[in-house]
Amino acid sequence: MTQERASEEKPYRRLETQSLLQQIAFRHGLEAMEASENGNLAWVTSGFPVEIPIAMNLGVVYPEQAGAIVGAQKIGPEVCGYAEDLGYSQDLCSYARASIGSTEKPEKVPMGSLPTPQILLACNNICGTVLRWYDAISEMTGAPVFLLDTPPLEKVQLPHNQEYVRRGVERLIEFIGSHFNRTLEEERIREVAELSSRATKLWIRALEACKNKPSPLNCADRFLTMAPVVSSRGTEHCAEFYESFVEEVEDRVRNGIGAIRDEKIRLLWDNIPPWHTLKFFNILASRGVVFPADTYTHAWTGNMVGTDTSSIIDEVVGVYSKVYLNMGLDAKVDKMCQLIEDYDLDGFVMFSVRSCKRYSLGQLVSKELVTERTGVPGVVIEGDMVDSRVYNAAQIETRVDALLEMLM
Amino acid sequence: MSYEGVIEQSAAGLKELVESGEEIIGYIYPHVPLELFMAHGFTPSLIRALPGASSGYEESLQTFACAYIRNLYSQRANGQFLTLSGLLFPANTCDSLQNLSDIWRVRFHDDKVLRLTYPVTRYSQDESTTKFLAEEIRLLSEKLSRDYNRPFLAESYESAIDLVQEFRKGTQFLYSARVVNPRIISYSEVVRLVRTFLSIPTMSSISDIREAVSTVQVAADELGLLDSIESVRHAILSGDYSGVRLPEELETPRIVIAGGMVEPQAIAALMHEIPNFSESTLVLDNLSFGFKVVFTIPPSKADDPFMAMAKSVLSAPGEPTHEGLSYRMGVMKGLLKNLSIQGLIVCEQSFCDPDQFEAPSIEKAACELDVKSIRMPLDPEFSDRGRIETRIQSFLETLG
Repeated sequence: MTQERASEEKPYRRLETQSLLQQIAFRHGLEAMEASENGNLAWVTSGFPVEIPIAMNLGVVYPEQAGAIVGAQKIGPEVCGYAEDLGYSQDLCSYARASIGSTEKPEKVPMGSLPTPQILLACNNICGTVLRWYDAISEMTGAPVFLLDTPPLEKVQLPHNQEYVRRGVERLIEFIGSHFNRTLEEERIREVAELSSRATKLWIRALEACKNKPSPLNCADRFLTMAPVVSSRGTEHCAEFYESFVEEVEDRVRNGIGAIRDEKIRLLWDNIPPWHTLKFFNILASRGVVFPADTYTHAWTGNMVGTDTSSIIDEVVGVYSKVYLNMGLDAKVDKMCQLIEDYDLDGFVMFSVRSCKRYSLGQLVSKELVTERTGVPGVVIEGDMVDSRVYNAAQIETRVDALLEMLM
Repeated sequence: MSYEGVIEQSAAGLKELVESGEEIIGYIYPHVPLELFMAHGFTPSLIRALPGASSGYEESLQTFACAYIRNLYSQRANGQFLTLSGLLFPANTCDSLQNLSDIWRVRFHDDKVLRLTYPVTRYSQDESTTKFLAEEIRLLSEKLSRDYNRPFLAESYESAIDLVQEFRKGTQFLYSARVVNPRIISYSEVVRLVRTFLSIPTMSSISDIREAVSTVQVAADELGLLDSIESVRHAILSGDYSGVRLPEELETPRIVIAGGMVEPQAIAALMHEIPNFSESTLVLDNLSFGFKVVFTIPPSKADDPFMAMAKSVLSAPGEPTHEGLSYRMGVMKGLLKNLSIQGLIVCEQSFCDPDQFEAPSIEKAACELDVKSIRMPLDPEFSDRGRIETRIQSFLETLG
């Protein structure tokens, strides 16, 4: 791979709406600090039905997003190291280690440590690690943990599974209610669900616009612009951001403007990105490689359509149980094959994240299955999302080069 | 008998069963409703990690997959598995086992893969948890009836409850007896009996347990320890240690082995190799394949069978794969404090999320009680055996 060029004629195009992201992030940070000071802050996992705490007027922050920021600042090894000093193994999830490390030494992590939580809300639809991670944070901060248990599904959600998760959502409402002495108002949850749905629909529109050639967005664009739909869905400003974003994306499509200047090869990305090395995508852009789709940002596409509290709870039960990582290998393979077909992709890159077992174990098998079904080649590269100590750039370059040679 | 000898013996026993026409359902996670399989006419057998299966997984699993699942996969890939009628995987216990079952279905498509999904919210005091697991067990029962044409027989179910309960009562007594007087029976012998039953749950395995119980009972009676043993058994089962009555003169140091799915017999074999180590130092384990299986409450015959089996499975103490770190640490502290423990060895399976997340909290809990502890990363192959033995030896020396 060649190195990223520093001049104006970069091989990729920067989105105008990216500047709005900073404003949103700043606002989100201030609101979180205020919520914490007022005793109203919940830390939530990225797959948590955040509509409920938001509708019950809690501030929310996402430690995974903070982990991504730690990674992007290239301080992952140092911050994860603080957790390792406490005895947490280097083999464990680097989002968790970054979170534990920055909770232990917040003064050393100004951009990436989160305000003190009053409660910790975890949903295991993305992995089993989140509970253990939040238990560790609970031990450090004294904030109680609520786990919404969403047992993994095989193809369909059976009635007893629905009933169990529904009871979990009811217990969540009771938990927040008793902890903060408040109730869930029907009008408010409907309003939040509508806002969440509005943002999600806009996000889906932007993702689907990438079916066009050239693709208006590359992987790094989506990884950056997914932040509000993860952290602020259910708020007015989140929906407003995506209105501007979709306008720019669709404007690019109308004018035939691609995310990269010379699109030659279209690939699928699987897994969380290496936040510390997002330039990986820009370097490949210089060789005409674009990633119009990925399995990670497509995870935030569950849509709420409920109209009253009961139907919204039912929606929560279905939408949050059926997320990509809670559905097993067959569903992952189906999703990848579907994306390859829908986005007319030439190949795929699977990032095997050493510290994310739920996402990564099975990739060696699914790589074969996807190639068998679609006929397109793929490659598995190994590293980590936050901890750059286990990211071997030279080895990754060799593997990606081998894939590109097949496609050029 | 050496660890390798025990493995060979149990493999031979299983082979004999298969040859005599028994149908074996293997299982991986230790907390399964054994009674269900027996009620359908199967012999459930706990699959163990083997020391000699260190490669073979590479085509399907990355090196960061937990050492336990790598070992199981390698055994199967290398043809070291017996012919099983089915293999039961747990779901929702940990990410590695969750994904392994999917991989297994693809790679070994002739194998009959069964799955039982567990609720994580074990300590929520909510009936929905038990109902969920009961329905999972009922669905599994339907599948066994349908796919194998072996119906659930009430009579077999009741006999199975008796058989498993005799195993538990007997081994609970032996475990408790060792807490009171670790010299009364060796740890290796107790865990051999546990392992043999879990591998081959038959009357013959029970006979060995009965014999051991009888011998220990006589010895304990002579030493006047029977009440004390019962007080320990009751305390462990109830989680309330206020009634524990240990003898005044206890041999020290007394250590506990904690961890998840680590093979107790392998630990016993490892300790055996350490110079100047007396097995009486090791008072109790807190491992999934030992203590946690043994101290599980039996299903009540009066309840609906599926609800009863669900309640039983959920009564297993302290799995790190379930909700409730603070609860588990409370129980751990109760155990360390009230059973006069001076040292704790925390075993962690390499790349095991539940073990590795819990280990710092266990260390902290021990430290708060001034109990010395050491962490021991392990894999089933003991690939770093020399270093492990040296570390344990040094640790024991610090206990005096």
